[in-house]
Amino acid sequence: MSDDARTDGGTATADPNLVDRLVAAKHSERFVAVVSLVGLLAMPFLLIDVLGVFDDLIGVGLGGFVGLPTLILAFGIVAVGYNLLLGYTGLLSFGHAALFGAAAYAAGIFSNEVVASPVLAILVGVVAATLLAWPIGFLSIRRSGVYFAVLTLTFGQMLYFYAFGPGAWLTNGDDGYTPFAVPGGAEIAGAVPTSDSLSDLFFDLTGLTLTLTDGLDVTVGYVLTALIGVAAIVTAHRIIKSPYGLILKAIGQNEQRVAFIGMDVFRYKLMAFVLSGVFAGAGGGIYALSKAGLTVHPNATLYWIVSGDFVIMTALGGVGSLAGPLLGAVVFEYIALVVQGITIPIIDFQIGSLWRLLLGLAFVLVVAFFPDGIYGALSSLGERIAERFGTESPTGDGPRPVEDVEETGGDD
Amino acid sequence: MERRDVLKGAGAAGIAGLAGCIGGGGGSSEYPELGNYPVEGDEVTLGFNVPQSGAYASEGNDELRAYNLAVEHLNNGGGWVDMWDDLSSGGILDKTVTSVSGDTATDPATAEESATQMIRSDGAIMITGGVSSSVAISQQKLCQQERVQFMSCLTHSNATQGADCVRYGFREMHNAYMTGKALAPILVDQFGEDQNFYSMYADYTWGTSNRDSMKEFLEERGWNQVEAAPTPLGTSDFSPYMQDVPREETDVLLLIHFGADAANSIPAAFDAGLDDDMEIVVPLYDKIAANAASDNIDGVLGTVDWNWQVDNEYSNAFTEAYREAEGTAPSYAARLAYSATMRYAAAVERAETFYPPEVIREMEDQTYSNTGIGEAEARACDHQSMRDVYVVEGLPVEEQTDDALLSVVGTTDRDTAGYACDAGPAANCELGTYGDEDN
Repeated sequence: MSDDARTDGGTATADPNLVDRLVAAKHSERFVAVVSLVGLLAMPFLLIDVLGVFDDLIGVGLGGFVGLPTLILAFGIVAVGYNLLLGYTGLLSFGHAALFGAAAYAAGIFSNEVVASPVLAILVGVVAATLLAWPIGFLSIRRSGVYFAVLTLTFGQMLYFYAFGPGAWLTNGDDGYTPFAVPGGAEIAGAVPTSDSLSDLFFDLTGLTLTLTDGLDVTVGYVLTALIGVAAIVTAHRIIKSPYGLILKAIGQNEQRVAFIGMDVFRYKLMAFVLSGVFAGAGGGIYALSKAGLTVHPNATLYWIVSGDFVIMTALGGVGSLAGPLLGAVVFEYIALVVQGITIPIIDFQIGSLWRLLLGLAFVLVVAFFPDGIYGALSSLGERIAERFGTESPTGDGPRPVEDVEETGGDD
Repeated sequence: MERRDVLKGAGAAGIAGLAGCIGGGGGSSEYPELGNYPVEGDEVTLGFNVPQSGAYASEGNDELRAYNLAVEHLNNGGGWVDMWDDLSSGGILDKTVTSVSGDTATDPATAEESATQMIRSDGAIMITGGVSSSVAISQQKLCQQERVQFMSCLTHSNATQGADCVRYGFREMHNAYMTGKALAPILVDQFGEDQNFYSMYADYTWGTSNRDSMKEFLEERGWNQVEAAPTPLGTSDFSPYMQDVPREETDVLLLIHFGADAANSIPAAFDAGLDDDMEIVVPLYDKIAANAASDNIDGVLGTVDWNWQVDNEYSNAFTEAYREAEGTAPSYAARLAYSATMRYAAAVERAETFYPPEVIREMEDQTYSNTGIGEAEARACDHQSMRDVYVVEGLPVEEQTDDALLSVVGTTDRDTAGYACDAGPAANCELGTYGDEDN
């Protein structure tokens, strides 16, 4: 059987064993790290250059702008951590904006009051969000379901109103806080400005011109962000694959059974909440970095709608999968920031504030047809391909003719 | 591909001048590349970033109508274009004016992202618009970074051209500080000396800066603040707050609310019968509040940027053109929008280039009297226009018309309302760089 497959599949791919090996390697940590690094470094290229081709081709501005990938990653990292809570432990928190926003403000204030170091500022964000997640989690997790969601929401709104009004001495309130408001902006180790592009840096160091396309002309800040993104994904992967992650999953499936075998459910839930807070802190710190010299505002960081955005990103991308929330963040921010500005030619209609409607439509379609989100849809497609070209088909059936695969693929 | 690489190399080495020579392409530009300069082709794009959704959508749509009117006039003549020596039909510097519009949703982050797209994807040479100060501030910070000029529209916070001022931003509207200076003498005049006033303010940056400015200038004239009570932004039921106002002690109630908040708080003050015991003042009026509270605004004093009933040739010409196009009288948001576009266009014509630092220098310390608000000066030290402030009063219901809910009762001249470069909000202002310092 294995031999049949080899000769059959050989017509389409050079070495079907490669597919098998890839499928087998899919769960190894090194594979996850390499794929996420390649994916994150390719993101600016895909969003700005590849999609930007359409700008001239059909006159619709589908291309992203410089700065978009950093913003996507800031939210994506929060969503990856949020997924540990929602997708695995089964806790629906509506207060993650509090953790994200507190981290953004902490990082911003640190950058102006202490030192404008991006790495340290992001660390401060992580610490702030972790310390805040502890009491919020401790008080909220005592209740479950709706009450848990409402409690977390309340904590978030308390912080929002404080930052907006009474706390304005610290946050500059509605006028917005400017992180890294120092001459030269954020600098890594006091030498390289994060706003420098890699090709500028390369030129400064070597005197040679590095040929990059627009999108790959990424900034030092984006590379730093991408590395933190990879670290976040690998950490999440390790947590999920560990016995600890197994217990979190078990709690998500049936809390009582976990309690019956003598586990301290409260403690595990609290740890899941705090862990997701660490991710929210990193995301918030990166957000502050991406807003260097610009504005961090309570509406965009602490407001409850931001918490809702994290839920939507996670569910859209795929609850309970590692890469899903990140994909969700890409689609969400792309619709919010790029599709929003599109003017449809000929009828001269601007999408503008209708973007929420489009996002809602995408959300409904994805949830209705692919309950596992975009990632679920993609991975089932991937399994079909592996099934077709690989030697060990997951269902145990022999490989099917190409036409069949395409037909069933099309139905999805 | 090659040209870009050369540019990058040149930019990194700091030889900006070289980049300009190559980047200009046509060889027509005498300045290096900066922001979205030079403007290629025979069209120039302006970015109109206004709230088309959210709490201030009605003001935002007024602005957009006025922006479109300004574009129409710049291209085909009409309105102030026929009256200003600097301007002539046929676009700006013979380039046809086109525009892109965005929705700020009255949210600073959304506004910033929308402006980013206008600058990076659409190549806008100037961004203007916005209702609310936070939206103006977030946009002008971005514009300073991107080296694209920003003309503020409706923003009244002291910070806009104070602590958060930037070189690339200009504001014509008056601010909370000027409101305080303008209103205080008129209130003392109207209601007498040694009065006790009670401030109720929206608890965020704009509200607190108005509270502080009103206190400063009223206490300077011998009035006494009984108390200042914060209300959360977005409060819909103000009746509990009105119950807390001490009726015996209070002579004047200041309602420092804007938009929907003012639309709710003014009727609540009247419902509680406070008008029997005290005078009610709304330091900054706006269209939404005046419309929503029209039954109750009889005799209520406040300030505005401008009102179409202000009688001078520029004011009348704009009102007439707007009325012809839209069928209604313009709000002050519309005048601010129209004026911002015209002033920018005129500065470009005078500078004879779109090169931002030259356009900015052209506007700095410019004294002008052609925007319908009397004589004004766009100061170089803080980019705030020193100008007259109009004090208005609500009309009795029977005298109100669709277009006129308020009447202008006084004008505080700019010497009284204004302040020195080292005083008030200007003392906290550091404008930042032009962007051509290295040349």
